[in-house]
Amino acid sequence: MAIDLNFNEEQQLICNTAKEFFAKRCPPELARKYENSTEDFPRELWKEIADLGWLGMTFPVEYDGLGCSFLDTYGIYVEAGRSLAPVPLLEAIGIGAALVARMGSADQKQALLPAIAAGDKLVTLAIMEPDGSYGANGVTLTAVKQGDGFVLDGTKLLVACAGTADRLIVAARTGGAGEDGVTLFLVDPKAAGVSIERTKNIGGYPLYAVTLAKVAVSAADVLGAVGKAWPATEAVMMQAAVLQSAMVVGAGERVLEIAVGYAKERVQFGQPIGRHQAVQYLCTDVAIALRNTSLLTLHAAWKIDSGQPFLREAALAKASASKASAKMTFAAHEVHAGIGFMIDYDLQLYTMRGKHWEYNLGDARHHYEIAVAQAAA
Amino acid sequence: MVDFCPDDTPELKAWRLEVREFLHEAWPSKRIFDYDYDEDPAGWEEYKAFWRAVGKKGWVALTWPKEYYGQARSTVEKWILDEEFIAYGAPTYPVIGLAVAAAVLRHGTHEQRLRHLKGIAEATTLWGEGYTEPSAGSDLASLTTRAHRDGDHWVLNGQKTLGTAAHQCDWMFVLARSDPNSVKHNGISAFLVPLDTPGIQMLPLENIGDGQQNQTFFENARIPADCLVGDEGQAWNQIWFGIGGEQLDNAFAAQDTHLMRMVRMLADTISYCKETKRGGAPLTEDPVIRVQLGELMVGVEALRLAALDGYSKAATSGKGGRGALESNLNAAFYKEFWPHYAQVAMEIVGPLAQIQGGKWAQLNGRFEKYFRTSFGNHAGGTSQLKRMVAATRGLGLPR
Repeated sequence: MAIDLNFNEEQQLICNTAKEFFAKRCPPELARKYENSTEDFPRELWKEIADLGWLGMTFPVEYDGLGCSFLDTYGIYVEAGRSLAPVPLLEAIGIGAALVARMGSADQKQALLPAIAAGDKLVTLAIMEPDGSYGANGVTLTAVKQGDGFVLDGTKLLVACAGTADRLIVAARTGGAGEDGVTLFLVDPKAAGVSIERTKNIGGYPLYAVTLAKVAVSAADVLGAVGKAWPATEAVMMQAAVLQSAMVVGAGERVLEIAVGYAKERVQFGQPIGRHQAVQYLCTDVAIALRNTSLLTLHAAWKIDSGQPFLREAALAKASASKASAKMTFAAHEVHAGIGFMIDYDLQLYTMRGKHWEYNLGDARHHYEIAVAQAAA
Repeated sequence: MVDFCPDDTPELKAWRLEVREFLHEAWPSKRIFDYDYDEDPAGWEEYKAFWRAVGKKGWVALTWPKEYYGQARSTVEKWILDEEFIAYGAPTYPVIGLAVAAAVLRHGTHEQRLRHLKGIAEATTLWGEGYTEPSAGSDLASLTTRAHRDGDHWVLNGQKTLGTAAHQCDWMFVLARSDPNSVKHNGISAFLVPLDTPGIQMLPLENIGDGQQNQTFFENARIPADCLVGDEGQAWNQIWFGIGGEQLDNAFAAQDTHLMRMVRMLADTISYCKETKRGGAPLTEDPVIRVQLGELMVGVEALRLAALDGYSKAATSGKGGRGALESNLNAAFYKEFWPHYAQVAMEIVGPLAQIQGGKWAQLNGRFEKYFRTSFGNHAGGTSQLKRMVAATRGLGLPR
């Protein structure tokens, strides 16, 4: 019963621990090493994070989780963003495991969640198709009933870590149109008929094109109810969009630090460039976008945490984060000019990953749509 | 613990309802009235009566100490009160009375508090601002209005300008140079000046937002010595940054006049778009307008949360209030977003937005008036100034 925008002591402790951990274990060189690499991510680092208890934090205790809340994990995402940690926290935990925890049967949860929490198994979502959209209408990959199971045909793009994932959660259409008729399937990427190809991309992420040709999936591998998966899928993606926004906040704090640091040190015309108001303007551009996004994101996280409807708030947060991701890095480049254009300078690492984050789980336009649909209803 | 929701107890829910019921009784017309952009005499009477009614409830001074006419209630209750005023569309407190109260509570003597806070709490005494001068705008510290001590009086000489609604006010909060040998920030003092003092003259300045600002001339205006508030020569640090937002947060959280108007405007913009058809379909179905509305929603919500952050910090941190960085970033964003909002709203409405009155005026001409008033975004300091302060005092860039 207070207005309070501060984390509680435990959450603050998690933030501090995460900040230290990622600073030590994920220097920018690590992010560089895994850019468009043949390996999806450093497995031993993933195991270390599992040992810290961070992977299963929000899982129920009966599946080796800690039963923590959404806000408890918030700081880990902020810090993963700040350090550009090349691990699939968002993809495998914020989305993949969250879908299993929310929609899975007891057997599915038992088979996957403890192993995910231990860092031994990985599940990621395959939703986007060649039309490049995140909405329910974009799900056209067909799933045709055959005997007790289904046969899947179609293409998914920008699928995270398909090279290492034990299961892909493939969104398919079992009938209907729009939000009706979307079904999720747990598919082994090594199954017959599945082909994967890593797509080189601007953020250097392990993103794959996945083609399914007559892939047989058993009824036991349907995740959730047939034809009714969309609302829960959307809810998890919107929650994950808030976590993605938290990563933008962490990265933004680092981008601001880099830009301000450079503006204080770089001398031209006999004085630090940060004394020029044009440069001060650019630095405050970063700071304003960061502050707005930070407030909107924390607010959306609190809505989720306290069990209230959150679509509007999450949409506003991600719309702001998407715009901010582009704006902050652009302004920081303007402060740096030539040096920022150099591949060896770390600012560009944020710029390139920031472009992925801007799009990931829906860009500003996608989320404006959701927010306005809520407001105009 | 993160908590954005102030009314999760039965007591607070009841408080919200009490405020809501009061507003229905005290402002039944739901008339849109902004003290800085309305000159209609009947409107002013209705407006002043409304705030006197709020004062009578003790709600102007809700969070003040009990010994100074306050109720010592929590910032959560204050936030709920403000939220209800916003949702209802009630007008904001006149001019700068709340900032004066903050300064007097913080830096005034016991006698000054007893004397001046009553009229502010009851909204029976209205306060205007006496900061800006013809040659001291953003560079306020270069002000030249003089105050010299003569026995048990101070004597004021000089000129203030852009005094919003000062002609409606009884008193003025004046910054003047009390040390003739001082330059810049040092040697400026703050004075509580009765506007019926001989030697004070006012001339109107009309602005493009239908409001009246004023020039105020001081010619050997003698005010009693106890009109000095705070330490002599220390107003810049003690008072000005208070008015500038940082210390104001501490004492009161923000008064959020502008936020109230913007939240109201957004609600009206969205309902206008729902109800208005173009080409046979409501404006809310136009994909371009949807993007525009989405962007406006993000900006307004960010400002609302920034205000909430001010309340949070005032309530939870020992020294209270947002710091120099946060308050100046918010101010800069607000000052740039407001005119942007107005421009976008005019684009959404289109050519009919030009019509100022009569049956063809859109939303009773509110959009075009909002556009005109948005050029008043410099009040309290330009966005350029706020960014410079944020950059130097907040981010630590060199001056």
